[in-house]
Order: sequence, then structure tokens, then C-alpha cells
Amino acid sequence: MINRFKILVIAVSSSLLMYSFSNIEDTTNVKCMIQMTNYEGFGAYIIISLINPEGDYEDTLYVQGKDKEWYNELSKWWRFYGKIRNNIDAITGETVRGGERTVSMIKIPSDKIDKGYSVRFESSVEDQKYYTKDVQFELNSKNINTKIEGTGFIRYIRMISN
Amino acid sequence: MSLLVWRYSHFLLALISSLFLLIASITGGILAFEPITVSVQPYNVASLDEVSLNQAVLSLNKKYAEIIKIEVTEDDFVIASVITNEGEVNKIYIDPKTGENIGLVKKQKRFFSFITNLHRSLFLKTIGRVFVGIVSLLLCFIAVTGVFLLAKRQGGFKKWFKRVQDSDFNQRYHVILGRWLVLPIIIIAVTGVFLSIEKLSLLPKDYLDYSWNSKQSELVKNKSLSGFFETISLKEVRSLTFPFSKSKEDFYELSLNDRVLNIDQFSGRVIKESLYPFVKLAARWNLILHTGRGSILWSVVLFIASSSMLFFMFSGFSMAFKRIFKTKKPKKVLDENECEFIILVGSETGNTYTFAKYFYESLIKLGKKVFISSLNEYTRYEKAKYLIVLTATYGDGEAPSNARLFERKLKTIIPINKMNFSVLGFGSLMYPKYCQFAIDVDQLLDNNPKFKSIMPLYKINEESKNAFDSWTKSWAKTTGVNLSLEMTKPVKNKLKTTSFNIVEKKDLNLDNTFLLKLKSLKNIKFKSGDLLNIHPNEEGFIRQYSIGKIGEDLLLSIKKHNQGVCSLYLSELNVGQSFNASFKSNSNFHFPEKAHSIILISNGTGIAPFLGMINENKSQIPLCLFWGGRTKESLKLYEKYINGAISKKYLSHFQEALSQEDKKEYVQDVLIKNKNRVCETIKNNGVIMICGSLSMQHDVLDILEEISSKNLNQSLSEFENNGQLLLDCY
Repeated sequence: MINRFKILVIAVSSSLLMYSFSNIEDTTNVKCMIQMTNYEGFGAYIIISLINPEGDYEDTLYVQGKDKEWYNELSKWWRFYGKIRNNIDAITGETVRGGERTVSMIKIPSDKIDKGYSVRFESSVEDQKYYTKDVQFELNSKNINTKIEGTGFIRYIRMISN
Repeated sequence: MSLLVWRYSHFLLALISSLFLLIASITGGILAFEPITVSVQPYNVASLDEVSLNQAVLSLNKKYAEIIKIEVTEDDFVIASVITNEGEVNKIYIDPKTGENIGLVKKQKRFFSFITNLHRSLFLKTIGRVFVGIVSLLLCFIAVTGVFLLAKRQGGFKKWFKRVQDSDFNQRYHVILGRWLVLPIIIIAVTGVFLSIEKLSLLPKDYLDYSWNSKQSELVKNKSLSGFFETISLKEVRSLTFPFSKSKEDFYELSLNDRVLNIDQFSGRVIKESLYPFVKLAARWNLILHTGRGSILWSVVLFIASSSMLFFMFSGFSMAFKRIFKTKKPKKVLDENECEFIILVGSETGNTYTFAKYFYESLIKLGKKVFISSLNEYTRYEKAKYLIVLTATYGDGEAPSNARLFERKLKTIIPINKMNFSVLGFGSLMYPKYCQFAIDVDQLLDNNPKFKSIMPLYKINEESKNAFDSWTKSWAKTTGVNLSLEMTKPVKNKLKTTSFNIVEKKDLNLDNTFLLKLKSLKNIKFKSGDLLNIHPNEEGFIRQYSIGKIGEDLLLSIKKHNQGVCSLYLSELNVGQSFNASFKSNSNFHFPEKAHSIILISNGTGIAPFLGMINENKSQIPLCLFWGGRTKESLKLYEKYINGAISKKYLSHFQEALSQEDKKEYVQDVLIKNKNRVCETIKNNGVIMICGSLSMQHDVLDILEEISSKNLNQSLSEFENNGQLLLDCY
């Protein structure tokens, strides 16, 4: 009897485990366009991060800007990323210059949506300002299909989730 | 004056920017390969003017869930950013006809991005960019000052591509490469400045001119989007950005070569049309010119220009240091007002100074009071008795830079005592105004009652040491100052010597002349006309002999002088013995294998290289040999080789001039008789070669000048500049 119970427990927990694993793998693709203001100067570095409910960095979702030597200029993010330095080649694009727009595909873990997480866009231009919260919004299913105004180098962002 | 300004600014600018320039040109040379590695990729699969934009869009729509952007590169590759059915964003090269993925767009190679970074900012971020920008600007100035220097040296912009006469390697190739590469270098520098300015955002705003032209929109009424895209070929397209969503406010943004169109995604109507501002178009061209993107040929030019900069820096500095070093005055300088002998020098490259110093040293050795200075520093020398002027000529008969004030000073400064003067001109027969400045100085002094000419003006061609020596001797004779020159500094171990074995020796004839046939113990490559340096003793005395090549052997013709160290030494050697000598290539005096016809003129032992050449004329170019000697007996020494060449039909004509027998004539008399042959040769791009004594050379050149100006109405120097006149006299 006890053995049967054990087997049941193992079966249930393993299937739960399986379920949660597949859940981690499950991501929502969000097509995201960033439209820059007409500022002058070099291309902007833009970091898109996932922020947990406590307000700390959870993950890096996308990086516009390939020259790693400049990353430490985005100091707030660098304090998080500089320690782990995971490979972000697959989610790295070009810097964006004033007046330009860029479209990228961001993968957001589906289980983080509507759970109090938020998405942050920080932007920095050489010899100019560093906006730590150019755009920040709560990660919910309404927001990822909308247009949000920026406060720094970003004029607005638009998103569509697939 | 202006020459000095150009030269000093050219040099100073180069010095200041050299380190940065060195880095920039090395990295630039490497970076020139980047567009090549991109261009050679096999993604250019369709000719773009045959594919319409519509076709590309349709084919991509079939294959992918969504398209973000299509771009056409300078190499005519088509790049598409697409979202796959799996939701991945891919940037790929496509075949525009089928939409097929033919390769992933790779990031710039790590190596190139490292070098690019070094090239544009020296890893110093903004400060580095400013530095590099300034260096590019300096490079512009260096190139421009160089243009003026080069024009001065060649005697005007019209003579830009005139043959370059310098024999010094650095100087010669600085000029030769410079006149071809100055244009690409200026382009690199100007575009580099422009790029830096652009990167530092100092340019006027380059946003699109969104002036909306409503009339034009009325005209552009497209039936449908696909209908409109059908009218545009990919060749015209730079990029097409797809609307972000199906929302009405999103539109297609189509960049063509000169404008951007915003197109309604449903109706295909052009909502907005804006031309690129000039700054933006210029920036695009600028980038292409600076990087060579899209053109392998231009990339190669950029590579050559970048790497040549290394040579320009090296040769430029070595020329500058040589000049500084050579024109340095001797250490112990006597007071100018105490001196009896005044040597004044006009020198551009410092070479004339070298000769002046030999002369100075030998007078000092005799305990004479000598003062040496440049012609510019001419002043009243209170105790002077002798004035010796050694001067070169610059460009088109002008004064060298350290002599241009002389004429003015001579008018205003009147010497106290009457001075005995002699002028020695250094120059090259290649220039039409051979030793012109020396001639001018000689005239000026001669017209001045305070100066008395003790010797006629003497000209020295191509820095001939022998000519200088003989002038010194006659100066010594005239003045009674018994000086002896010491010109050749010991060159121990500098020349690579090789052992030569004597295989044949023809004994002395009446003229004290003999022939030696040598075999090199090492396998050396040489041609008739090359030189053999013979140094019989340790003191560094060197005598040069012209070589005739007979088979694999070297033939020398030697006249034995009773005081000649070298000829005595050689005359005492016998067959089977060997001696050390060094070999020197003399590519200016090789057999012109491509000439239409050739005349060889020689006297005495000067025939030696020609004996080789007449036996090498396998293609039987019309070849004629004139030789001047003393007697029939003198000729016997060479008869075997001459007759051999005639019987093989290698030599079409031979004529001797005997000064002691027969008609008692000289080789120049024979030339006059053969005037027509000479004319034909010159006119039909033939070549005349002269080898023998300097005095024979002078007389022959006079005759040739006369023939060409009378019969052909052209100056001999023009033919000389074409390389139709080759000299090797001593």
C-alpha cells in the first residue's frame, strides 16, 4: 500500500516536473519596433531587460549594439550582466541612430507574463546621456500589443505578440 | 622661397603625424581586404535589373511567415530580414527570384572589427577618433604639399609624368610612386576627414527632407501595391522596410538611390516622397570611396596606396635625414674674413656638398685657410683670393634652394680684393637645361669686374668622381696649389666580393691595352654593361670596369697605366690565377632588346661591354658599332669578337676611326659621315649607346645635338628623356 503510494507520488511529481520544464521552454515571441527621436550623434546602445517583481534584473532580452567595449557605459545593467556575461550573440543587433527605427524579435518567457514582471529599455549614446529607464512597462498581455512612448532617445516602441 | 615652404611643411607635417599615420596605414592596408572577402562571396546570383521588386516580395512571402526588411548591398547581394514559421528572426542572403535562403549574413569577422576599431579610434574612443581625424587632415596637407614639391622637381605640372632622373633609390621611387599614388592618397585622406567629421556629428543635420509635394502625389496613382512594385527593378532599390503591422498608420518605406518613398500598404499609393539631402548622398559615396566596399578593383587600389604610405614614410625620412647629415658643415670653422679660399655650394640633395667637402678637406690638409658655405650666405670675404663655386641646378634650370639669394647678394656686396673664380656645375645630361644654374653663376661672376675667371666652366654629369678628379687636377695646375683629393672612403667589407678566375689573357698591344676573360667561381647573373669593382689593396681604392658578357664569361678590356694601381695589378696576373672583385649591376646600360635599331659608339677600352652585346643580338636588330682607336694594331685585340658577330649577322655594320693612321680621324668624324643612319635611328625610336672616355662623350654629344637639332628640329634631351641615349663614360 505504502509502495503504491510512493509510486503515485513519484509519477505525479515527475509529470509535474516535466510540465514545469516544458513551461520554462515556452516563450512568447514579441515583435518589437523601436523608433528613435531625431537626436544627433552616434548610434544608441539599447538594452532590453526583464525585471522581476522586486525590481531587480532577471534576464537580458535583447541588446542593440555589438561593440562589447561600450557595454560598461550602461552601468546599471552592467552591474548585473558584467558578473554573468552569458552569451548574447543571438540576441544582439546593430546600434540605432537618431531618426532611425529597428525591428527585432524578443522572446519573453510566457510564464512571466501577468506575474508582476516588467520590461525595461535603457539607452545610451556616446558622449551623451544614459537613460536607465527610457521605457519601462509592466509585462502583461495588453502591454505587449501596444505602443509606448519613450522618455529619452527612444520616441516610442510598438509591440505585437505572436 | 616657396620651395622651402613646401619642403619644410611637407617634412614637419609628416614628422608630427608619422606615428598615427603608421598605425593608420598598416591597419588601412589590412582593412582593404575586408570588402574583398565580402565581394567574393557567391551571393550575386541574379542580375538585379531583370528582377522586379514585386517578384522578390512575392517569392519571400511564400517562404516566410513575415518579412521585416529587404536590402540590396553594393555588391548586388540581396539581404532579407525575415521571421520564419518557427518565429525566429533571420538575416539571410537570398536569391531574389526564388526567395531561397543562400546563406546567413555573418557578423563582421572578429579580426576585422578589432582592426577597424584600431584604425578609426586607436581604442581611445572619442579622443582617438579626434586624433585620427586630425591625422587624416594632416595627411591631406602632406599630400598637397607633396604635389607642389613634385611639380617643382619635374619642372611644372605639365611635365608631371616626365621620366624621373634620380638615381638614388629612395628619392627615385618617392617620386615615381608619388606621382601615381598621390591621387588615391588624397582621396583616402579627404574621405577619412569627412568620415571623422561625420562620426563626431559635426556635419549639418542629415535628416530626410520631408517636404511634401502634393502635386507629385496626384501624379502617382498606382492601381495596386504589386502593380507599383512591378515597375521597380531591384537594381534601383537600396532597401524596403515592411509595415510593422496591418494598422492603417503603418506603411512601406522604400529607399531608392536618391529618395525615400512612403507607400500605403493597402492602396499602393505613394503617401510621401522625400529626396535624400546632399550631405547624406555625399556620406554614402564617401564611405564607399574610403572603404572600397562593392569594388574589388578600388579595394586593391586602396591597399596599394595604404601600403605605399609605409614606403613614403621610410623613404621620405631617410631623404630628409640624409640631407641634414650631408649639409652639416665641418666642425672646425675658420673665420670667413681670415680665409684665402672660399668654397660656395649650391646643393639641393646634399650630394654636391659631399664633393665640396672633399675639396675643402684636401685644401685644409695643405694648411690652407679655407671657408665653406652655401651660396645663399655669400658675403664680403676680406682676405679671399680664390672663389670656388660648386653648384647643382634644380628643376627647370633654377637655383637650388640654398643658392637662390646669391644673385641678389652678388649685386649688393662688393668684394674688397679681386677674386679668382672657377665654377663647377653638377647636373644630369637627362635634363634639357643641363647645369643651367652653373652657367648663370659663371656668367654673373664673369660680368663682375671684381672677379676673374681662371678656368672655363666645367660640367659634371651624374656625379662622376672621375670628372671631378680631373677638374681638381687642372684647378691645381692653374693655381699652383698642389692638392690631392681623397674621395673614396674605405668601404671595407661593404661590398660582397666574389672570386674570379682568369681563363684567357690577350697580351699587351702597342697601346698598352690587354684583354682579360674571367670566369666567376660562384654562379652570378650578369649582363653586358654591368660593372666589376676591383680593389687590389686594402686601402679601399676601387676601379670599375665595364663587362662584356661572352658566353658565361666576363670580358674586360684594360689599359695599363704606369701609375694605375689597378691596371698594374691586373696586368701581372696570369691565366689560372684568381682574384677577388665585386660585381655591380648597371641596369641603365643593358642591351635594349626591344629597340628597333641600335648604334653603339665607343673609343679605347670602352668597347668591352659592346663586344658582349654584339654577340648577344640573337634577334638581329639592325646594329651598328663605331669605335675610335689609335692604330690598326689597336683594333686587332678585338677583331675576333667583331668578325664573329658580323659572320653570325648579329652586327650589321662596323666602322673604326683611327687617330694615328689612315685618315687620322675621330669617332665623331665617322658619326658625321653616318649622319643619315644616326637620324634614322633616333627618329625610329632606336637607341644610341656611348661608352668610353668623357672627352669622347662630350664631343659625340655635341655632334648628336647638332644632328638632331638641324635634321630633326628637336633637342637631344627629348630623345634622352625617352631613354634613347644611354651613357657609360669615365
